Parts: sequence; structure tokens; C-alpha cells
Amino acid sequence: MQLDIRTKLFIAAIFSVLALVYQNPIMLAIVLVLNLLALILFRMPFNIFFGFRKFIYMYVILIIIQSLFVKSGEPLIQLGNTYLLTTDGIFYGISIILRFLILAGSGLILFNCNTSELLLALVKLRIPYEIVFMIQVGIRFIPQFTNELQNIFNGIQLRGVDLRKVYKRKVIRVYISIFTPLIYSVWQKAEKLSILLELRGFRKFPTRTYYREIFLKKIDYVVISFVLIITVAIVYTGSIL
Amino acid sequence: MVFISLQGVSYAYNGRKEAAVKNISLSIGQAEKIAITGLNGSGKSTLAKLILGLLKPQNGKIILDGRPVGKYSLVGVGEKLGYVLQNPSQMLFNTSVYNEIAFGLKWRGKSKNEVHYLCKRYLDLFDLWDLRYEMPFNLSDGQKQLVAISAVLALQPSYLILDEPTKSIDTFRKKKLKDILQEIWRRGTGIMVISHDTELITGFEGRRIHMSKGEVVEDAVRYTD
Repeated sequence: MQLDIRTKLFIAAIFSVLALVYQNPIMLAIVLVLNLLALILFRMPFNIFFGFRKFIYMYVILIIIQSLFVKSGEPLIQLGNTYLLTTDGIFYGISIILRFLILAGSGLILFNCNTSELLLALVKLRIPYEIVFMIQVGIRFIPQFTNELQNIFNGIQLRGVDLRKVYKRKVIRVYISIFTPLIYSVWQKAEKLSILLELRGFRKFPTRTYYREIFLKKIDYVVISFVLIITVAIVYTGSIL
Repeated sequence: MVFISLQGVSYAYNGRKEAAVKNISLSIGQAEKIAITGLNGSGKSTLAKLILGLLKPQNGKIILDGRPVGKYSLVGVGEKLGYVLQNPSQMLFNTSVYNEIAFGLKWRGKSKNEVHYLCKRYLDLFDLWDLRYEMPFNLSDGQKQLVAISAVLALQPSYLILDEPTKSIDTFRKKKLKDILQEIWRRGTGIMVISHDTELITGFEGRRIHMSKGEVVEDAVRYTD
């Protein structure tokens, strides 16, 4: 389904808001299922979602932390006076996990979108161009910084530092070595970019025109209306539960 | 004796239809001096990264000193090969030029005196000793490149791979680098220079491999131009 980027942004925002508003795991599970359905419907990279299985230990830790600090609920595992696992701990832990999955799923809705379309959509949403430009620069430089960081890691290891065997007291020194060139490079790029922007007349004129235009089509209005109806239905169900 | 062997190696970057390196087979001796030439995007740097194990070939095998390169850790590869990146800024991460040279030496367990001796020796090669207290990031691009080369040379690798080593270097130092590489090679260190700098390559005695569109189109030994 070819949707306008603003429609996708709207859907992602709705899912994110619902994830933050609800604490009930049943409601969050419903939102997650709808989120997954949306991903299937928009032919988004659904399989990436299963990659979150890697964080299973984090989910368990979350449940334990919740159990340690949430004093309510029935204790299931107890060590002296300390509750290691409680029913409410599990309840809140599961809520946080579901919330995390919904937020990640909402991000995936925008996964395949064209960056320039996204920026045009933000401009159409009346976000100041300066902020949109900063987002554009951020997106543009992410792969480059990842690549640079990898090169620095490689350079350090090729010069004899086995990062797995670095003594604890030397870890900080090595990581300073890794991040110093990166921060310097970011600083240098920012400086060069600002000069280049000035030279190319950035913000010389108050208004800016765009070669490409984006329009909401019928299908976008239909999808937005449908999502609104579903949202109202979820809110209504939530108020009953 | 074959030190590096590539057997039918191909590699394509993610999202690219055409392979950066196509079905390359090469045998490189321990003390061999090689110049890899070719236009931008012909696969020269990709080939170096494959040899270093920074990229994993989709097809073929790369053997480094009798073992597949994938079996080495990066530190292990670093013990066999010295590598100077195309962008020297990514190789400099210390607070002074002196520390930059000393970094690898200290990690390899050299004594304080040895570290000092080697730092002086390799900084003097390119007249960088006077800059030893300077922050490497504040140097010019050419000076950074020379510091990066000195730092790798100081580790005295058994084989040296230099990716575009003369990119920002002035003509005088280019000539000096050429002489130093020749001297290092005479002492038994193998050298692979990846470059399209004709000034460096002209008169380069040894094997010349010319690449085009990811393939080796010429592989010959030249002694004079």
C-alpha cells in the first residue's frame, strides 16, 4: 500500500501515544497486535521484529527490577524480607516490555520511507526548515559515523590492542582513544558544514520553495479515518477494562 | 614462499548490484613489493580490506601466512600486517604525536627505552620529531598522514599495506617516503602500495597489479620505467 509519509507518521504517533498512555498489559497486547497487523499490511520488514528476542535477558531483568521495587502484589519468590518476584512485578514488567515492542514497531512503520519525503512531510507539518535540515544532516551522517567508529576500532586493534583483554583500569583510556577522533571528526564536519552552508547561501531568503510536492491521496484519508475509528474503539475498550 | 593467497575472491557491498572485487586470485610473497593501481572505485581498497579480514569475501578464500584470514583476530592480523588507512585521521587517537607512535609499541610490551628509541627513529624519518608534543588533530593533512605511516612503521610489521599513502603529502616528502619504502623493502619487509599517484608509482620497482572494475587486468613485474 503506497501511503503518504504523513499518514505513516500519524499511525506511528498514534501507536506511540497509546503505548505510553496504557499500563494494562491486555490493552498493550491489543495495541501490539494492531501494530504488527499494520506492519504486515504496509509490507514493512516484519522479520526485524523477531530480532528483539535477543533482548530476552533484558526483559527478565526488567521483571526482576519491577518486583524488587513494586511492593504491591502477591510474592512468588522471597528471600528473607525481600521480594524477588511478585505478581505486580510481573504485571508491570510485562507492560514495559510490551511498551518497548510497540515503540520499536512504530519506528519500523517509518523504516522504509524515503528520507527526502520524510523531510518534505515535516516541512508540510509546519516544522521550521532549520530543524528539518538538522534532522536531515543527522540522518545523512549516521552511516558515516558508524563507518568511522568501525574504522577507529579496527585501527586500534590492528595496532595491537585486544579490546577483549584490556585490563579494567585501562578500559577508560582505550575508550577515550576510540571516542577522541570521533568527537574531533564530528566537530570538524560540523565546522566545515556550517562554512559550506554559508557559502551556498543557506537562509539567505526567508522562504524556500521545493521542486517536489507531496499530496495526501484518497487512500491516505481512508487509512487515517480507519486508524482514528480503531483508536476510539481501543480507548473505549480501555475505559471498560 | 606465499604469504598472502587469494583464491577466487569476490566481494559486493550491501545494496550494490555490481561486485567491488570479482573473482580475484593472487599469490603474494613475504618480501614482495607490489603496487596496486587503478581508477577510483576499481576495488583497490576493498582488496586491501579483504586481505586484512575487515571484509569477509562472499566467494573464495584468503590465506594469510598459512591460515585463513578469518581465523585470525584483528590483533593477530595486526601482528602480521601493518596497515595505513586511506584517511589518516581515523588512525590518530592520542594526545600527542609522540604518544601516537608510542601507543602500539607500549601495547606490544616494549620497554620505556625501546619505545623512546623507536619513537625518535621513526619520527625523525619524516622530520616530525619537533612536532612530538603537538596534538595530532591540529596537524595538516599531510603531516597527519606521515604520523600515521610512522606509527605503523614503528611497529616493524613483516608486511606493510599502505592505502593511498601520498594523498596529501608534498613532493619532497613523497620522494622521501618512496626512498624509505625502498629501504624497508631491501631489509626484507614486504610492501603493498595502493595508489593512483603516478609520481609514487613511476619508477616503482617490483610487481604491479592494475585493477579495473573489480578485476585484475594487469599483473606484471617491472624493474624500470
